[in-house]
Amino acid sequence: MAEHTRRTVLKSAAVTAGGAALAARAPAAAGAAAVSIQPAQTAEITLSVNGRRRAVSVETRVTLLDALRERLGLTGTKKGCDRGECGACTVLVDGERVKSCLTLAVMRQGSEITTVEGLADGDRLHPVQEAFIRHDAFQCGGCTPGQIMSAVACIEEGHTGSDEEIRQWMSGNLCRCACYQNIVAAVADAAGEVRR
Amino acid sequence: MTELVGRSVARVDGRAKVTGAARYAADQPVPGALQAFFVLSTVARGEVVSIDASAALAHPGVVAVLTHRDLPRLTVPAFPYFRRFLPMQDTAVHHVGQPVAIVLATTVEQAQEGAALVAVGYRAAQPRVVIEDAREPSYLPPPFRNLPNEIRRGDAETALAGAEVRLEARYSSATRHHNPIEPHTTTAQWDGDRLTLHESAQGVLATRTVVSAAFGLPPEAVRVVAPYLGGGFGAKGPVWPHTVLTAAAARVLRRPVRLVLSRAQMYTLTGHRAEYRQHLRIGATRTGELTSIIETSTAQLSATEESVFNRSDSTVELYACPNLHVRYEGVRLDVATSSYMRSPETTSHFGLETALDELSWQLGIDPLELRRRNHAEFDQETGERLTGKHLLDCYALAADRFGWAARLPRTGATKDGDEYVGWGMATETHTFNAMPSTASVTVGVDGKALAQLATQDIGTGTYTVISQIVADALGVPITDVQAQIGDSALPPAGMSVASATIASISGSVDQAARAARAAVVDLAVADPSSALFGAAASEVETSNGHLVHVRDRQRRDTYRAVVGRAGRPVQRTATVLNKAGHSYGVVFVEARVHARLGSVRVTRVVTAHDIGRVMNRRTARGQVLGGVTWGIGHALMEHTVFDRNIGRVVNPNLSTYLVPVNADAPPVVETLFVDKPDPASTAMGARGFGETPITGVPAAIGNAIYHATGRRVRDLPITQDKLL
Repeated sequence: MAEHTRRTVLKSAAVTAGGAALAARAPAAAGAAAVSIQPAQTAEITLSVNGRRRAVSVETRVTLLDALRERLGLTGTKKGCDRGECGACTVLVDGERVKSCLTLAVMRQGSEITTVEGLADGDRLHPVQEAFIRHDAFQCGGCTPGQIMSAVACIEEGHTGSDEEIRQWMSGNLCRCACYQNIVAAVADAAGEVRR
Repeated sequence: MTELVGRSVARVDGRAKVTGAARYAADQPVPGALQAFFVLSTVARGEVVSIDASAALAHPGVVAVLTHRDLPRLTVPAFPYFRRFLPMQDTAVHHVGQPVAIVLATTVEQAQEGAALVAVGYRAAQPRVVIEDAREPSYLPPPFRNLPNEIRRGDAETALAGAEVRLEARYSSATRHHNPIEPHTTTAQWDGDRLTLHESAQGVLATRTVVSAAFGLPPEAVRVVAPYLGGGFGAKGPVWPHTVLTAAAARVLRRPVRLVLSRAQMYTLTGHRAEYRQHLRIGATRTGELTSIIETSTAQLSATEESVFNRSDSTVELYACPNLHVRYEGVRLDVATSSYMRSPETTSHFGLETALDELSWQLGIDPLELRRRNHAEFDQETGERLTGKHLLDCYALAADRFGWAARLPRTGATKDGDEYVGWGMATETHTFNAMPSTASVTVGVDGKALAQLATQDIGTGTYTVISQIVADALGVPITDVQAQIGDSALPPAGMSVASATIASISGSVDQAARAARAAVVDLAVADPSSALFGAAASEVETSNGHLVHVRDRQRRDTYRAVVGRAGRPVQRTATVLNKAGHSYGVVFVEARVHARLGSVRVTRVVTAHDIGRVMNRRTARGQVLGGVTWGIGHALMEHTVFDRNIGRVVNPNLSTYLVPVNADAPPVVETLFVDKPDPASTAMGARGFGETPITGVPAAIGNAIYHATGRRVRDLPITQDKLL
């Protein structure tokens, strides 16, 4: 009768793996297989977010997204779908864009996480943030933190060679207000600036 | 000083939105709040016979599981609460995905897991969820909000029978869901009999009205706060059961409660665009003048609500036609109640504008020329001349920019590589509403201005336009203006629905600011320590924060100095009720259809709109960009699929309910505006606009596909399979 949720599936997978007790600093790759995941078991972990090391107590099933929002109070990162479809929760993990709803917080110890709150240099906005304002690349702002983090990585990846390339490589971030043309313009503009 | 109103002014909330500082409803920290998660019915029709919450209650962190037995008895609220019943007041189930229990826990994960552990038993009956399966024939529902569901003009049947040319066609569209990026969320906090809600709301006052009614409280007992909204598109205009139930749970548990709906839950809890069918019969002369329109539409209604939300205003009013008969019918189905979704009139307008295209081919008249020949100079109901309507200018502007004159009047005439290329066009129009709005403008002792009113910014640019208006009216830099909105404790103003925000609030903001300016000038000329002492108020102009004597410019003062010396802020309020109306425009589209795959790309779009005075070029263009891409979603991809056997939505997510992504949006969209103030507007010449620039897009795309391929698709969305 009980339906499988993502979390119960994770739990049963871990039980069959029959692993050892949770190590506080389990390496990310081995973490999922080696850890016995009890539903409400908490782990004391340290996350490095926006250059600050933050101790946080999370259940092992907590996503990086919920750890950021609900435990660390970093609500700039948005939850749109909680299943990797909309991109609103995109953050940088060791410089790569990652949908924070699809990764567990315990897997990201030892990584450098950047959220939209960590992009500006004091009062000076990041060129991508500036370009988003200049090109009106948002309306409601619900997807904007994810768009911006994705754009930062998109530029870093070198996927801004043409508007068409930007359109494709920014298509993992939905904008329901649909400012897509302005997002493309902002990313292209910021790419020029970042490279200078 | 150059006026800011009308220019392309950057959003004043931009910095907050690009840094993550903007706090949306679910971002607001509320210490001690429990996290709620709903258990939803898995059957569409029947009743709950058992609820076993023991496993959920045993789950660590779960504090309570509330059912219909635990909630207080509530009053079913009126508009804008639809559905006409409140869940969890009894055991009846009216649709799949109806709340039957609320799990409350310390963390989101615990609440979600707990909800999966609640075992609910049902007695279920076979549901009917699509129009084709309806038990009863369609019928004419009673008027909704005093709007008639049957409209007649002249003698449509006789005129049709005698028409030189006749066209009959059936159009249809699937159920759609709004899917704002921000899920609906409510945080409820009681203090005795007073309730505060952090709510994802397009109307803070409407939410207050509904929630206070549900609990039998005076409206003032409820405060609704929503400074930012992560998209609404109509979904967050009505108030839905989850808001009331979250407040009820908080009342029972005497603790603050936060609920964030999951994406899947938004497919049954927060409205949708109803499944829709339209039967059109049109009579015309051989030269294309419309002589009769007969339209019967059939909308999906729910088991508990029979309001029709998608009305055919354009069929009734857009073109000159002396004989008309329109009926809005519906069928009862075991689905969640539908509602308004961005540009409700798009639904019928697709049929009208496709039919005109079909008529143009039948008659061999250019589709744009056909529309010109039927241009309505007069209100079709009252016969009054329509002043301030510049639709013909829109046609001329956009046709010229698009290069419409070069269109080849043959289908399948242009092929580029593997793709057939077609051009299509459609008129755009939508009604806008206007609601009474009061605004307060305060000039502080620091010379800075604060505008306050209980409206909302749903992404359309309300903060920015308010700031522009106040800066212009006072003569201060926009950086010295702060707009405070999204709080029901502020002066009452309209909801952000029905393209109404700018049309509702602009006049009151402008008048309050002008009154505040006059009051400060009066202070200055009466103040012996001002350089303007003794001047006539009419001799003082204001600019860039300064008050200056018009003839002797050495005599000057500043807002900061004048109000600072007075020692207390200057505050003025104003109330304005603008009139409702229509905005107009046209959209031209180039679409490419892959010859073997049937896939469609929209590659070039030109629009022109007549919206009265354009308040902010940048945010107005944003509405067009969004509208065009919404039109693409509507025309080519969006549809909610039901399992006809069990009544569930099969694709309640964003990977199988497809919305346009960046690569689906046309690379080139040119957005033109006539930009002539509407003399009838008390909103500084502006009209409501947000919903207009979707309305023609689906038909324009369908018409372009026909031009490209000779294939006419009358059922939306036009997915690839229909073109193979």
